[in-house]
Amino acid sequence: MAVQEYFLPQSLEQALDLLAEHAPALLVMAGGTIAMPLINEGISMPEKVMGLRRAGLDTVRRENSTLVVGATTTLTQLAHQTDIPMLQEAVRHIGGWQIRNMGTVGGNLFAPPPAGDLAVALLALDATVVLASKQRGQRALPLTEFFTGFMATALAPDELVTALHIPLPRGKMSYIKYGRRHANTPAIVTVAAHVVVEAGKVVDAHLALNAVGPHPIRARRAEQVLRGAPLNAATIAEAAREAAAECEPFTDAIATDWYRRRMTEVFVRRALERIMG
Amino acid sequence: MSEVASAVASEVKETFHVVGKSVPRRDGIGHVTGKTVYVDDISFPGMLHLKMVRSPIHHGIIRNVDFSEAEKVPGFVRVLTHRDVPKNLYTILCLIGVGPDEEPVLAVDRVLYKGEPIAAIVAETEEAAMEAVSRVRLDLEELPAVFDVEEALKPDAPILKPWGTNYFIYEGHPCRRVRFGDVEKGFAQADYIIEEVYNTSPIEHAPTETTACVAKPEPDGRYTVYTNTQALFFTMDNTALILQVPFSKLHFVGGTVGGGFGGKVDVIVEPIATLAAMKTGRPVKFKYTREEEMRVSSTRSAWRMYFKDGVMKDGRIIARKVISYADSGAYNRHTPYVITKHAANVAGPYFIPNVYIDVYCVYTNRQPASAMRGFGVTPASFAVECQMDKIAETIGMDPWEIRFINAYRNGDMRPHQKVVEDATLIEVMKAAAELAGHPLPEHLLKMHSWDRERA
Amino acid sequence: MASRIVTFNLNGRDVEVMVKPLTTLQTVLREHLRLTATKSGCRQGGCGSCTVLVNGEPVLSCLLPVEDVAGQTVVTLEGITPVEGLHPIQQAFFDNYAIQCGYCSPGMIMVIKALLDRNPNPTRQEVMDAIAGNVCRCTGYESILRAAEDAARRLQTV
Repeated sequence: MAVQEYFLPQSLEQALDLLAEHAPALLVMAGGTIAMPLINEGISMPEKVMGLRRAGLDTVRRENSTLVVGATTTLTQLAHQTDIPMLQEAVRHIGGWQIRNMGTVGGNLFAPPPAGDLAVALLALDATVVLASKQRGQRALPLTEFFTGFMATALAPDELVTALHIPLPRGKMSYIKYGRRHANTPAIVTVAAHVVVEAGKVVDAHLALNAVGPHPIRARRAEQVLRGAPLNAATIAEAAREAAAECEPFTDAIATDWYRRRMTEVFVRRALERIMG
Repeated sequence: MSEVASAVASEVKETFHVVGKSVPRRDGIGHVTGKTVYVDDISFPGMLHLKMVRSPIHHGIIRNVDFSEAEKVPGFVRVLTHRDVPKNLYTILCLIGVGPDEEPVLAVDRVLYKGEPIAAIVAETEEAAMEAVSRVRLDLEELPAVFDVEEALKPDAPILKPWGTNYFIYEGHPCRRVRFGDVEKGFAQADYIIEEVYNTSPIEHAPTETTACVAKPEPDGRYTVYTNTQALFFTMDNTALILQVPFSKLHFVGGTVGGGFGGKVDVIVEPIATLAAMKTGRPVKFKYTREEEMRVSSTRSAWRMYFKDGVMKDGRIIARKVISYADSGAYNRHTPYVITKHAANVAGPYFIPNVYIDVYCVYTNRQPASAMRGFGVTPASFAVECQMDKIAETIGMDPWEIRFINAYRNGDMRPHQKVVEDATLIEVMKAAAELAGHPLPEHLLKMHSWDRERA
Repeated sequence: MASRIVTFNLNGRDVEVMVKPLTTLQTVLREHLRLTATKSGCRQGGCGSCTVLVNGEPVLSCLLPVEDVAGQTVVTLEGITPVEGLHPIQQAFFDNYAIQCGYCSPGMIMVIKALLDRNPNPTRQEVMDAIAGNVCRCTGYESILRAAEDAARRLQTV
């Protein structure tokens, strides 16, 4: 069947009502940069679609030491905030200008690897995702628990992502996306790091990787290597080796799994060296 | 500037009206205003849209195709199968004597590549056609597939062609052959034997505008076909042969191509769209989606090229043996001709007295390969020039010098029995060295393309 | 499958179209209104040839349901083409041979229009960043960059 209904709710409440009524047969999209290509090509043939562009979820605001970003905030809008430079850096490497004008922060959580260049930064920043449903109201979930597999998340069929809560980082950040071209390119590997160093020792480390797993992942063992150690060349080299060992790279048209693993080591090292200064 | 270059430049300046000058593009205003009409910009009242039912597997037998659910889709008009095509088997190059016909317009009982068209569905809208295609039920029996040229030539490989081999037959031979001098004698005399294998990948042309045409029935019984083909008359003639109509029944309109690079010389959308227009009496548009353009349209073939050279200490190459394999994919398209061009050029622009070349056009279960800028010469040049560097490195000679020594001169006989009449390689290399700021030694600068010319 | 009427401002005029659910702005422009300067290269958001400006922002009309632009302002290449002569960006493209097959040109010109509206004197890197989402397969990028720089000069002296 061709698309029978396209809903364009004017508020979150309307959106949740529509979702409660039509889920799971309702395809939800925001910027359309993931869903529309599949629909245009006939790969996805939904009967009912809901667009969130008018649902009023596109605000960015500071709440004490947290940046609260509405789910349909466009990537271009996100680039205008200056509280967290790593997010600006991440956005700069996503798609082209037009895609950044359309794609949204919430939508990027659903972009399968090697896409998802923003989600990996959010993971390194230890963001929390806010979900809402008509029946059960709101719940907050650490982003690490949101991703459950390749193109699979903890989102229930009657839930929407409404916002991301991003704590302002305490330490130094580094973001490197390595692709085959400088711009508008799928990633071979993306590395986002947030490291807190006090009195010469790493007290906290968040290291997130993308394009080397079923979804954006944290490199937990590499983080373990960093925590409590001095941030020097030896520590960094060991952390980079651990990250390369623990990631789960895949082969696609962009790169082989072998190459992705090798580059994971190289770019984790470079990201941490930038933090070391 | 070299003496030749400056002489040419002054002649250009004095006597030419167009060469050496910037001339405004005739179609430029249309392009910058968006007023240029590309095929997809054309539509007519009552126009139908055509989409293909394609094979989801690389190799298999078609047991059954069930259109009953597709026919129920609102907007469905009709389906075309191989039974509707007057002359279903074709080969594009039949126009220059290549045969036998081997590619079906629509698959009959077997599919040889993923994406091979099995049936065409015509509907009132593109969406309805896509939906009807998705509802066609295919009952296919999957067969083992082969994706590598040398695997395809092994005795236990699945045989893809009715004549019993996975290679094109050139006048009774399994490959296009070039024989010149005695290559084994050359190897025996050589100071060095230098061997290497070179591989290239298939390349998709990826034009910004996808392959498309609109076929429109006219009141006088003719059909006007608006197409973005790069080969208008080739396409018209093949369409007439496939549809078994006189050429005069068809009026092809083309010339505006949104990027081609050789990717639009196959005869792919026009015959079936014209047939659909004949069967429905209405204009029919068939435009590839981007997915089809990438996955189904032909590519540059993948190549494997084995080189064995006999070289003297002074840098002269006295023997070259090349065995090349081109992956034609499932069907011929332009590859038999690509092979011939490759065979004529793979010895390189160098005079070598003993040459032995075998070039195979191999069928696999990949999407068909075809023409792309330079046909088979581009991979040949890649391999030859890598090999020249390898020779230079092996014998310890400057890579410029090895090329100057071996460059062919006017009067040299090329391996395929053509006398070189207009060599410019040495002059071009001198100009290139100058532009690159690379000083050449005096003894190379003294060389000319005419310094071996026979009286 | 109820069709709906959508109204938006297109190239300075209000237009009203009746569309089936999820019809894209690209389809409305090309098939309903027959404004074919906006091209259809991939319908996957990958080529940039369908770029138009919505409220001055470059977007991909192939991924945009027209209902999402109800009440908003859309500008296409037709909207910047003068009745006589060419827009300075078009003239710069023509004079610098920044066109070969012409299929990417409408998208390129619209993006460069959006860039120069914000940043009248961009660096070469800024032009490159702006057109990163637009694919030219005849590889005329160098001449397109020259045309953008030339266009910036022309617009400043107008």
